[in-house]
Amino acid sequence: MFRIFRVTGESLLPEYQEGDYVVLATLPFLFNPIQVGDVIVFKNESYGTMIKRVQSVDNDTDRVFVVGTRMDSVDSRRFGSIPKKSITGKVIWHIRKPGRNT
Amino acid sequence: MLFKLFETLDQRFGFERAKAHCDIPCGIYDPITAQIAALTVVRMVDLMAELESKGGEKSLAYQNSMSRYITVKEEHAEKAKHDIRVIWGDYLKAQHLEKHPGAHELVHKIMMLGSKSRQTADRETAVQFVEAINQFAEIFWDTKGISTKRAKAPYSPALEVVYPNL
Repeated sequence: MFRIFRVTGESLLPEYQEGDYVVLATLPFLFNPIQVGDVIVFKNESYGTMIKRVQSVDNDTDRVFVVGTRMDSVDSRRFGSIPKKSITGKVIWHIRKPGRNT
Repeated sequence: MLFKLFETLDQRFGFERAKAHCDIPCGIYDPITAQIAALTVVRMVDLMAELESKGGEKSLAYQNSMSRYITVKEEHAEKAKHDIRVIWGDYLKAQHLEKHPGAHELVHKIMMLGSKSRQTADRETAVQFVEAINQFAEIFWDTKGISTKRAKAPYSPALEVVYPNL
């Protein structure tokens, strides 16, 4: 139902910072579908467990296109859209690390 | 505090990690790549002028050389702009901008000069492009508490370049 993750890396700066915590609502998404703008956690074969923002959803192929906010973010621009079944959950609560400047 | 609670729970239970992965190992930034690219733009303008000054027939060899100079000028002006944008967008933080309030304006100036360097074969514009990026390099190294010096590049065009005192 819920899972907690800690964010590493900086591809979602300035909104998500290294060390922040996120609480996910996990599958199924029947009553809470993945939508554009959601921040999701998913598994990627090459990079492991990742967190990115949803840029578009293709309901016909059950795939979503995910991006980071930074230019050098490794995301769907690199590895293509991801299957919905690889999604662990979407962020419903973001606990920010204190003392940030931005 | 809520964050503290999560942190304590994390230490106790070890929450999973989710990577907001970047391409570059974060923290590696250096304006020297942009400075060299801008110097290359000046060098290409010089080579273009030199070739043109020889006069004579606009032979196939001439066209070939000129095309190559122009291509490299285009690519390096764009590379310099790109590399500056990465440092500006990914590295510079609010506290840096407080100390260097002119940074945004300077970056915009660099973008404009870079574009103008592509559109024209004007040496003065290209030299201004190098100088604006030098000023950006001074700001960059200051944010790291590293002093800089100016020295002539040991290759053509021997323009002044800002180097960190490491």
